[in-house]
Amino acid sequence: MNATSTGPGEVISPGTPLVEISHLDKSYGAFKALEDMQFELRAGEVHVLFGENGAGKSTLIQIICGVQNYDSGEYRLFGETLTGLTPAVAHEKGVSIVFQEFSLIPEMTVEENLFLGHEITGGWRLAKSAMRAKVQSVLNRLGFKLDPAARVSTLRRAHQQMVEIAKALLWDCRVLILDEPTASLTDQEAAQLFDIIEQLRDEGLGIIYVSHRMPEITRLADRITVLRDGKYITTVNQADTSEKELVQLMTGRSFDSFFPQIARNPGETVLTFEDVTLQSGHAKNLSFSVRRGEVLGFAGLAGCGKSEVLRAAFGLEKIATGRITANGVALEKHNPRKALSSRICYFPSDRSTEGLAMHQSLTFNSTIAALDDPVFSRRKTLLNRRAERGFTEKMIDKLKIRTPGLTAKADQLSGGNKQKLMIARGLSREFDVFLFDEPTVGVDIQAKLEIYDVIKTLTEEGKAVVIASSELAEVMHMSHRVIVMREGRIVGELDGEAVTESAVLSHFFDHDNKSQAEEQHAS
Amino acid sequence: MSEKTQAYGIDLRAVAPHLLLPLAILGVVAVFAMLQPAMLSADNAVNIMKQSSLFFFVACAQLVVIITRGFDLSVGATVSLVSVASSMAMTALLPSIGAGASIFVGVVLGLLIGAAIGAVNGALVAYGRINPFVVTLATMSVFTGVATTISGGFPIFNLPDAFTFAFNQMTILLLPIPLVIAGLVAFALHFSLTRTVHGRVLYVLGDSNEVAHVGGRRVKEHLFLAYVTSGVLASVAGLLMTAQTGSGEPNLGTSLVLSSIAAAVIGGASLRGGTGGISAPVYGSLLIVCLSIGMNLQQINGSLQPVVIGAILVFGAALDAYRTKSR
Repeated sequence: MNATSTGPGEVISPGTPLVEISHLDKSYGAFKALEDMQFELRAGEVHVLFGENGAGKSTLIQIICGVQNYDSGEYRLFGETLTGLTPAVAHEKGVSIVFQEFSLIPEMTVEENLFLGHEITGGWRLAKSAMRAKVQSVLNRLGFKLDPAARVSTLRRAHQQMVEIAKALLWDCRVLILDEPTASLTDQEAAQLFDIIEQLRDEGLGIIYVSHRMPEITRLADRITVLRDGKYITTVNQADTSEKELVQLMTGRSFDSFFPQIARNPGETVLTFEDVTLQSGHAKNLSFSVRRGEVLGFAGLAGCGKSEVLRAAFGLEKIATGRITANGVALEKHNPRKALSSRICYFPSDRSTEGLAMHQSLTFNSTIAALDDPVFSRRKTLLNRRAERGFTEKMIDKLKIRTPGLTAKADQLSGGNKQKLMIARGLSREFDVFLFDEPTVGVDIQAKLEIYDVIKTLTEEGKAVVIASSELAEVMHMSHRVIVMREGRIVGELDGEAVTESAVLSHFFDHDNKSQAEEQHAS
Repeated sequence: MSEKTQAYGIDLRAVAPHLLLPLAILGVVAVFAMLQPAMLSADNAVNIMKQSSLFFFVACAQLVVIITRGFDLSVGATVSLVSVASSMAMTALLPSIGAGASIFVGVVLGLLIGAAIGAVNGALVAYGRINPFVVTLATMSVFTGVATTISGGFPIFNLPDAFTFAFNQMTILLLPIPLVIAGLVAFALHFSLTRTVHGRVLYVLGDSNEVAHVGGRRVKEHLFLAYVTSGVLASVAGLLMTAQTGSGEPNLGTSLVLSSIAAAVIGGASLRGGTGGISAPVYGSLLIVCLSIGMNLQQINGSLQPVVIGAILVFGAALDAYRTKSR
């Protein structure tokens, strides 16, 4: 099309295509992450990528910003056909991305973070005044009232997000990618962010906005591209569509091939929450029970308290009122040690801080929760290293952990293999209850399937399994029963056939949306 | 791939780090031997063995807490206070209860003081959650002050001869007694670090407190115990050094703080926690003692020794940074 090479800083007229993708394919082994993908981003628009997790949104944005390569098809950036794009080149050309997880260093100031790795120098020293001026101009442009000298750790999440955006805009930026930017923001903070996004759109930037939250899409989107199962479904104008239509486009997929069918044989109740309120206030008035032989799912937006429920069950959250009972015994002064001996096992969502000792060996990591067990130690004092090695070898084999060797450090493994190493710990001694907090976060597709298989096996062996996941498809398709949480409270419980996407989604938001979604479900 | 190449021969990259320190120690000895043949005399060999054995205990004291991502600045204060207090006990009791019993009381008192200082450090670090740097800097000041106060700042002479004999001059199968005790302690410490649940937990919590906690370990108890162990090891050093000098010295441990950290770090323990085995204090103390004795023989100004110790510490930390980066 119009192959006018537009240098950085040049004003682009609204409507000019910035990113053009056609017939793009990308596979990981046998899994097709993207198939015949199409996408077009124009200057001066907010283009929402809409779809389930696993629909291919992340793969697509990673290809756009050069993190991933593609197998075949065409990718034109600013009218140029590109091959072998790297993140550095993409950044230089003006593609910036703000990830869900912040990349800021908390101990450093706003200004230091903005220039991290791109410091302006005058000879051998930092050109502080030049940097300060540049920061001020960006902050002014965005209308951010931020002190460049403030330490990032002192800022609220929303302000940290602003710093991330300022960081993206510090250098000439024409394509801004925002990946679920409101995941951890309050409504008010999100509203502030939307104003900024609209302002940037008016300045002529092309903005790719990844989200599956209806209210945000209605407010911001100019056009929406719907992806499903790695395939391009359609692109619609926000003005010409409705929530109803979008939800229909997004759902109506089959997960038969992806998620395993888990047999349900509900047995005795092994874990009960009776009107539990947490001291932190992140979750209130929780009452539910967990039974053998079935998978209980917790769904809800980030920050709804689902993760805290699992942490409370494992003794990592103090409870203010109420009672947690395991196998008929009330767990008072609960702590992880007591949880483990009550046969409750927990897999934290944050592998790097709570899950694995990154600089210790596979063996150290796989047996740490079972060192009191007579299999691994004599009188809870002397280690049985042979048994530890034997167990770790067995787990590497059973869970297909790909590792350079037994003495490798946890850090040397890939995300999926790290997760599997953590799961090995759950098999190191006898447990009744398995709590999975975001079981497949940051995990490749192959490992994901293997983890689902572990969950299936455990459940069918008669264990009680609890999953908290922000990935709606995962929690829906893996669970026999789903509890939906909003703002720290349980707002709904769905069982068996009643677990449908629209039913779950309807509980995510407040009643306005609920009636709408129900209406749609009925139709 | 890498497993295969290892199977067919010695992987030099894997072995090289383990050879580095022994070679460095031999190198130091060789250089000084060329300058001063006395470096290789039998007397000097015994001297090196004794000195490095004494120093080994403070390096061990340091290692145990460095594994937990902490360190202990109060080892020197412990050495001084143990030296003074057990000397005072022995000299005071000697006329009334005789040499054997007074030595016994002195030694037990010394070990108890070490355990008590360790317990104070451990309680403040593990249960009070105060930074180990602040805690041990404070206890260093406090107990150095106590040592100076109770002794009036003067050395305590007239220790029982049997004490100096039993803890310094005696030999067992030609080996000087400090070396024998060091060997036993090395074995016990190695065993406890590698074969016990406690040792395992120290490495894991050194890497991440949260991981050990989520793994159901009693993190605070293990951390507390690590500081007590450190205090006891430092007090053993205090007793043996007192036997070496033949008097209770209120400033016996002053120079040990930095050098003990330097020994553990150059030997392979990381200040980031979670690494380092018994070889760290073994190699570290040998290297530093050989350097120091060599410099003495060469009559290099004694004031230069802290310069060398400082340089070793920085070099050790740089080496650690390099190792961390490459892994």
